[in-house]
Amino acid sequence: MTQQKFFVQRITRLLSSLSKSTLTFKIGFFILLSLVTLAVLEPYINNYLLRGHSSTEIGLFPKLLPPSLEHPLGTDHFGRDIFSLQLTGLRYSLIIGLLAGGIATLIAVVIATTSGYLGGKVDSALNAMTNSVLVIPTLPILLAIAAYIRMDLLMMSFTLSIFSWPWPTRVIRAQILSLKERPYIDLAKVSGLNSVEIMFFEILPNLMPFIGVGFANAVIGAMIAETGLRLIGLGPGDIPSLGLLLFWSMGFGAIAQGYYQLVLAPAILLILIFISLNLVNIGLEDMFNPRLKRITGL
Amino acid sequence: MINKRVVRYVVIKILVYLITLFVAFSIVFFFLRLIPGDPVSRFIRLIEQRYSIQLAQVTQEIINEYKRKFGLEGDIATQYVSYLNRVFLEFDLGPSFLNFPNPVQDLIAWRLPWSIGLLGAATLISWAIGILAGTLVGWKRGSKIDSIMFTISLCMSQVPFYLLALFLVMFLAYIFTIFPPRWAFSPTVTPGLNLAFISSVIYHATLPSLSLILISSLGWLISTRAITITILGEDYLLFAQAKGLRKIRILSRYLLRNTLLPQTTGLAMSLGFIVNGFYLVEWIFSYPGVGTLLVQAINALDYNTVQGVILISIFTVLTANLIIDLIYPLIDPRVRGE
Repeated sequence: MTQQKFFVQRITRLLSSLSKSTLTFKIGFFILLSLVTLAVLEPYINNYLLRGHSSTEIGLFPKLLPPSLEHPLGTDHFGRDIFSLQLTGLRYSLIIGLLAGGIATLIAVVIATTSGYLGGKVDSALNAMTNSVLVIPTLPILLAIAAYIRMDLLMMSFTLSIFSWPWPTRVIRAQILSLKERPYIDLAKVSGLNSVEIMFFEILPNLMPFIGVGFANAVIGAMIAETGLRLIGLGPGDIPSLGLLLFWSMGFGAIAQGYYQLVLAPAILLILIFISLNLVNIGLEDMFNPRLKRITGL
Repeated sequence: MINKRVVRYVVIKILVYLITLFVAFSIVFFFLRLIPGDPVSRFIRLIEQRYSIQLAQVTQEIINEYKRKFGLEGDIATQYVSYLNRVFLEFDLGPSFLNFPNPVQDLIAWRLPWSIGLLGAATLISWAIGILAGTLVGWKRGSKIDSIMFTISLCMSQVPFYLLALFLVMFLAYIFTIFPPRWAFSPTVTPGLNLAFISSVIYHATLPSLSLILISSLGWLISTRAITITILGEDYLLFAQAKGLRKIRILSRYLLRNTLLPQTTGLAMSLGFIVNGFYLVEWIFSYPGVGTLLVQAINALDYNTVQGVILISIFTVLTANLIIDLIYPLIDPRVRGE
């Protein structure tokens, strides 16, 4: 029982330390929270704006209307409201990114804990595997798979996670190796905890911030890959993420014809997502890695 | 002086390179075989759809002949052996669909120099800028220029190249028509070793390389700054300052030299990631490189070319890594054990 109490205590301490976080983290977290809120509220907002129609419905409005009060960003070449489309795109981009990042982090935790716990040859083999996946350009392989296999949202996230697990694995493994050598682990061993208990009650709570860093890393990696393959028209056509919106606009020749908002809107939203995730990532590292904090000095 | 340590280092690096190459190529083979259906019948269906004709006369014999040409005969073990044989011993990547019956390696050979030239130049420029700027802002840490540069870097360093490329095309090629939006040289110049052609190539390469340089150098700036600040706390630097060495000497001999070593390893580690982002930049600019070829091959479901581009990319990146590893003893005396 006492261990569970400690576990809860550590988690609450972790959450309270978020409030004392750096400015970097706060700004990133605020942007990310606003984007996620928009994405969560998307069905209600679009239901209100489009009176029950879907934002991807073709020919709902006249084509290529300029921005107005009714259509803040105008309409596109299929007669869809661009603003509503962005909200839908934001929702799907975030869903796929978070899902793929989550799966990748799960894979990373399993590989990193196995590797860190067993050590020795298993560790070197797993580490070599992680490094070679990092070194090899994986995007062409990903594109080939996406081109030949029909995918739904879950399958897509799973495929993306196969290619984004090495980043979180490196972060988490490094931390496990350092945690293993701490005196309190010896103390726990002496007091008769078995290795599974040590893993769950002593190492995992201290690992949480780094799992967070790894998760942010994996989400960024997955979203860069997802947007990249949607940009050239791959992946499920009925799931309009921001990358697919860009593909539609590029296919229409929006830049050459002067309909800049068609490209600018999804691109700016994507850049905001990447900036906020990166700031959260760096903020987390600053908070929980005092050595690093001294270096970055923010 | 060549000593035992260096020989051992070089032999190990080359062995690791060969093993990684073999494993990576094998993984690619099995990964691509996971794709359902076989490429030959898919290709025949594609032709039927594209030209709306029925290829009723496609007999099993023709299909078998194609399968033999594509190395798709027999069970998976036979295919694997013939694949390894073709790729490693005959350097043959098979015929392409895009430009049938020319082999894939011919298609790639024309495009590879464009990709390597643009990517290599942009990567080295961003690396050099990032290290120089990172050392300087680390040296002047806490100053205004440091906080501005560092904040910009923190925000922008994870933005993918292709998004910046879209902005660059929009603003510098269409709204302000300063740079050309596509291709690698002007159609009016004759390719060759003349000034008009070379300046046209550089002019066309500016925007695509800029999208890589602007973002990538910010990433190098962040890591170099961190390394520099760690070095600034070392005793030998304090001693150098106490000795009254000139600032420029401390900067070049003590700081830059020590940041260069970890950043060389960093360059090797990040090459694969850079190539990933770069292929889409090529496609946005219709640059005649391997990335654009990859997208064309994927849209045409050209199985052999897709596989060929994947293999060439892995081969190029791993070879570049090996070269960096082999240069390392030249710049780091500690590896030489002197």
